[in-house]
Amino acid sequence: MNHNQNQQSSEGRHDDDEASLSEFLASLMDYTPTIPDELVEHYLAKSGFQCPDVRLIRLVAVATQKFVAEVATDALQQCKARQAAVVKDKRDKQQKDKRQILTMEDLSKALREYGVNVKHQEYFADSPSTGMDPASREE
Amino acid sequence: MSDGGGESGREHDQSNTTQRKSSGDEFARAIAKIAVAQVCEIVGFQTFQLSALETLSDVTVQYIHNIGKTAHLYANLSGRTDCNVFDIIRGLEDLSVAQGFAGASDIDRCLASSGTVKEISQYVAESEHVPFAYSIPQFPVIKDRRPTPSFWQSGEETPGEHIPTWLPAFPEPHTFSQSTTFNERATEPDTAIVEQEKQQRNVEQTMLNFQRRLVCNGMEGPSVDAGDAEKAKQARESNPFLAAPLQFGETEVSQVTLPAKLSIKATVENLKDENHAKDRCSSVLETFAPAIEAIKNKSFELEEDQKRILSSRKPTVQFKIGMTKKSLGTLLHSGTHKKGFEEMYPCFGRENEKDEKKRRAEKILKNSMENSQELAQL
Repeated sequence: MNHNQNQQSSEGRHDDDEASLSEFLASLMDYTPTIPDELVEHYLAKSGFQCPDVRLIRLVAVATQKFVAEVATDALQQCKARQAAVVKDKRDKQQKDKRQILTMEDLSKALREYGVNVKHQEYFADSPSTGMDPASREE
Repeated sequence: MSDGGGESGREHDQSNTTQRKSSGDEFARAIAKIAVAQVCEIVGFQTFQLSALETLSDVTVQYIHNIGKTAHLYANLSGRTDCNVFDIIRGLEDLSVAQGFAGASDIDRCLASSGTVKEISQYVAESEHVPFAYSIPQFPVIKDRRPTPSFWQSGEETPGEHIPTWLPAFPEPHTFSQSTTFNERATEPDTAIVEQEKQQRNVEQTMLNFQRRLVCNGMEGPSVDAGDAEKAKQARESNPFLAAPLQFGETEVSQVTLPAKLSIKATVENLKDENHAKDRCSSVLETFAPAIEAIKNKSFELEEDQKRILSSRKPTVQFKIGMTKKSLGTLLHSGTHKKGFEEMYPCFGRENEKDEKKRRAEKILKNSMENSQELAQL
């Protein structure tokens, strides 16, 4: 829609974008992503990626973190929707179990939007209670 | 946000998981799990199913891997080995094509103003700043791989014009010049091999000389050639090795230099002259050299040679032999020298024929000796 405008001011915008990009990259130097650099570097090296620049590693780390966060948020939405549906039916019974649990069911639904098809194993002996122990251990 | 081939990629990932665990990747996997758990915690989950966490961390690892792969691909596509920001941005855009991103429809968009990068910077600005929970001890990461500098980088001259300067430089000359293989390669083909061959040839020739001498000693008695008598006489006088044939009690007439083909003449002549004649005779004898060596019995060789020589005897002798002994006569009449030669040849290879041939050879030897005596009487 503003294609012409884009072309006209492409020079100025180009410089701005470049500046903002380099600024963003520079800001990554101070930012420590939750996904550690070493992990990202390890798997990048495995894929044949070579770059000594820490900022690029951080960029990948941040991108990955964003991806995981998006998936997790989607899963959380699924979880909340499911709980809301359950709560609607049996409002009084389920009051105690308000905690959000990342389950395969929600995760597979969330991942499907990102092109990853994960199927929840029907008879997999995996209950929310089994997941509780490692989580509490981590904290 | 992995690529379109979701299901197959998923299976591949899971099959890889078991492999990686066995190949010592548990540490990285465990760290990935912790990091993913932390991110989930930030988002708002309190707890999780273990299988869900494992799945998500697997997907995460695969995501990192895919970014690296596509970035590497784009770097290679533009002729580089090291990736830069734009390769990564392209890779990110490729991976987020499924969801779409701002400005994806714009063909002329600049990579620096990519929507994905903007989203990421937005995320960085908004999200909580939670560093990784643990300090990671030594992690198996090769930080920078430094290739060997090229000739051009190290400022050296290439050893040959055919070597372009962008190729990696040779190691220091002292590291390879004193190694054994380097020296051997330089010298061996010229001298060592030639010397070996020379020695081998010398040994072969002395063997042949010896055999020829044996042959001659056996042969000189029976051999009959009036035409070469004088020549043989001269040779015999000068050659001490000719003492042996005289033991047969033959006259000087029997002293023979054989036709040039077999060049027995050479053995009759001086030792000095022998070297000269060797070249001629070796052509015949060398063809039999392997067969001769294979035969253990030396006397057999001797007789074989006699036989051969006999078979090429001149018609006068043949005529005589034919009169006296029928067995020999048939043999000699049956073929020319060539045929006789052919008859002789296969017997070298056949073990079972040896005895028979030997017997025949002995017979021939006897006959020829008798003939020679007859000749002398004549």
